[in-house]
Amino acid sequence: MKKKKSFFARFYVVICLAFFYLPILVTMFFSFNSSKSLTRFTGFSLRWYNELLQNVEISKAVYVSLSIAVMATVISTVLGTITAIGLTRSRKIVKEILLNVNNMPILNPEIVTAIGLMLLFSSIGMRKGYVTMLLAHIAFCTPYVITSVYPKVRSLDPNLANAAMDLGATPFQALIKVIVPLIKEGIFAGALLAFTMSFDDFVISYFVSGNGVKNISIVVYNMTKRINPTINALSTIVIVVIIIVLVVVNLIPLLARKNTVNMNHRLHHVIGLAAAAVLIGVMIWLGAATNGKHVLKVYNAGEYMDLSLLEQFEEENDCQVVYETFESNEMMYTKLAAGETYDVLIPSDYMIERLIKEEYLQYIDWNLIPNKKNLMEDVQNKSYDPGNRYSCPYFWGTVGILYDKTVVDPEDLKDGWELLRNPKYKGNLYMYDSERDSFMIAMKALGYSMNSTNFDEIEEAYQWLIEQRDTMDPIYAGDDVIDNMISGNKAIAVVYSGDASYIISENENLDYLTPDQGTNLWYDAMVITRDCSETDLAHAFIDFMISEESALSNTEEVGYTPTVESAFEEMKEGDYAGVSSYIPDTENPNNEIFGYQEPKVKQHYAELWTKVKAQ
Amino acid sequence: MKQYKHLIKPYIIWAAALIVVPLIMIVLYAFTEEGNSVLTFSFTLENFAKFAESTYVNVIVKSFRLGIFTTVLCLLLGYPLAFIISRCSEKSQAFLILLVTIPEWINMLLRTYAWMNLLSDNGIINNLLEMLGMKPVSMMYTDFSVIVGLVCNFMPFMIIPIYTSLSKMDKSLIEAAYDLGANRFQTFRKVIWKLSIPGVLNGIMMVFLLSVSTFVIPKLLGGGQYMLIGNLIETQFISVGDWNFGSAISMILAVIIILFMRLMKKMDTQEE
Repeated sequence: MKKKKSFFARFYVVICLAFFYLPILVTMFFSFNSSKSLTRFTGFSLRWYNELLQNVEISKAVYVSLSIAVMATVISTVLGTITAIGLTRSRKIVKEILLNVNNMPILNPEIVTAIGLMLLFSSIGMRKGYVTMLLAHIAFCTPYVITSVYPKVRSLDPNLANAAMDLGATPFQALIKVIVPLIKEGIFAGALLAFTMSFDDFVISYFVSGNGVKNISIVVYNMTKRINPTINALSTIVIVVIIIVLVVVNLIPLLARKNTVNMNHRLHHVIGLAAAAVLIGVMIWLGAATNGKHVLKVYNAGEYMDLSLLEQFEEENDCQVVYETFESNEMMYTKLAAGETYDVLIPSDYMIERLIKEEYLQYIDWNLIPNKKNLMEDVQNKSYDPGNRYSCPYFWGTVGILYDKTVVDPEDLKDGWELLRNPKYKGNLYMYDSERDSFMIAMKALGYSMNSTNFDEIEEAYQWLIEQRDTMDPIYAGDDVIDNMISGNKAIAVVYSGDASYIISENENLDYLTPDQGTNLWYDAMVITRDCSETDLAHAFIDFMISEESALSNTEEVGYTPTVESAFEEMKEGDYAGVSSYIPDTENPNNEIFGYQEPKVKQHYAELWTKVKAQ
Repeated sequence: MKQYKHLIKPYIIWAAALIVVPLIMIVLYAFTEEGNSVLTFSFTLENFAKFAESTYVNVIVKSFRLGIFTTVLCLLLGYPLAFIISRCSEKSQAFLILLVTIPEWINMLLRTYAWMNLLSDNGIINNLLEMLGMKPVSMMYTDFSVIVGLVCNFMPFMIIPIYTSLSKMDKSLIEAAYDLGANRFQTFRKVIWKLSIPGVLNGIMMVFLLSVSTFVIPKLLGGGQYMLIGNLIETQFISVGDWNFGSAISMILAVIIILFMRLMKKMDTQEE
């Protein structure tokens, strides 16, 4: 019977495994690609491995992931094992309650556990970072250890330990020499599970970490904007390491069996020593990391800075910059409201207005910023911060329509924003997954102000968006729109001008349009928080960022329009000559800047936007 | 042996602080309004009332539908695989199970990105189709892409428990069934399937739990319009900033899941 099934069975196994391994093979394959593309292989190169070695963010993340996983595994295995042993001797009621509580993190969706822990840490005012992440990981790993060790302990003969003690062993000796060896398998399985869960965790780490402490998953998640093959190189290395470990682990028992028990013993010592060495190393590193130097904490949008500038700044000022990135202004605000502290933030206009109103910021002392003379006139003294008392402009631009010249009929462009509702392009467009910008489009298309607080007008805009959603099947994309448009996946997308410049420089078929009905003219600016403890350094940082050289290399790297005159002029004639999105349209009287929203209005917009997306 | 009784004390404190208190915090937030400070209690049911709106109910329905579909698919595809593996020689069993688990050690997000590159309109699969002279297919940002991502990530959680119960099974029972005149189908239905039920239930619980509450995979493979309950919770906390409503949704999700788990446990004990 077995033989007959063999072919079909084998075929099925192969198909299933191919399905599991396809994404992994793709990841590995493209780590050797010579270009940045993740869909077209242009030639073999080790370029990304080289970049991986130089990427400080990734190597720090590897360190965080590994050290947290090792410590969480060790601690939760010890804690879980002694608890499992203790449980078998406890009263029934205690046992039942504790086992049920222990099951909660396993049964609860990860996101619920994550949120509970986040609420806990922020309400007791604990600084989010390495320690909170470690505590959270121990908290969700231990239950798994207990569930895998407890059944093993229960199946032991309860008289074993007694016998050992009758023979003169202390309780501790009985535990270590008799009980633990008998439940070794369960402990090992639990530890393995704990390590896997911790090393691969994203959801819980994402909610409980902060202050620049990131594990691999968080770094990868932040990379959506411009997926970078260095991370493919990293996962290839991870895969290779795992395979080596597996081979070694599977070979050791074979070798050990040959070389008697002694060898086995020695091996245990080696493993124990290695674990201890790692732990000590971690402690030393933790101590060294907070040693002496001034620390400046900068919070910026993702992929929004030439990171080599940070290193240069660190060198020039003998300090350390903790650089964190956010996905949206709202996310930044949430973190700030949750009690995290930063020195310099780089939010957008309307958010700056809100932060000023809610007294999160302090005045900038312009005397400390001689490079102010470099700033262009066009970006100063705007409605969100008259007189620039709190903010120093960083990048600026518009929101517009990026379209494929080979697909979109030039006649249709005359409709402005209504192009996004032209049935010809049904299923062929990306909207931007941003509440304010989507409502801006609808408001402008209807001829209203994008800062309207009139609920009837908002309702009309809502209907506009609903209708668009139902007739056009748009994708509400995040930053993945960048890669998608570069590879020409769809004909139309709503994007920020800076992203448009970058995309157009990679895909010549595209062009950018800001409709006559008006659009969002936006400014992102650097601000110093009220709680900033390094004000001198913060001012030095702002001054550094608007120096002519920094501004130039910054705009070269990210493609957004600089606020520094010389950099703007140079790029306008150089790399971005003829790219319309690089020069923000300041002439159109219909263009507006986002203003502050009263909480009630804001809430209303947020709810409507959720409804637009949740069909 | 009494000495070991005290060993659970550290964990009692730990569990109280890091399991029970966080859950209480969620409940507390769910029943209060405004402000992220715990000290300003003002009891309200508004957060739950808000949830009754059809949009949010639809989100829940959609999440559960997707969760159930993914679970069923994982069961249908995973059971045969677990079965085949359990009938292999012992050596290849260990090897195959290892092959099934290795992908779980590779970052889940990375695997999802790889699927994005495979499935996108100008992605690897469509490039291959083009080379073969076929028309490209639009796969990204659909139910298809989300389900592919979910099944690929969560199927091992179905396979492992089913394999465990199948491999523990006493093989002589099957022979006995044949000896007593049962055909292959009857043997499977009356003996093998029955004995593997604990594993199946375990797998269902794992996969359902993971897929109903996920938010990263739908966000990446389904786009912003693919709003599931996990995404709804995430947006409330991360972008909308309404922690109270977010907590209320988390609480509703947790309650539904725990009721579901109870039900499965009951089925499990009944089977035994």
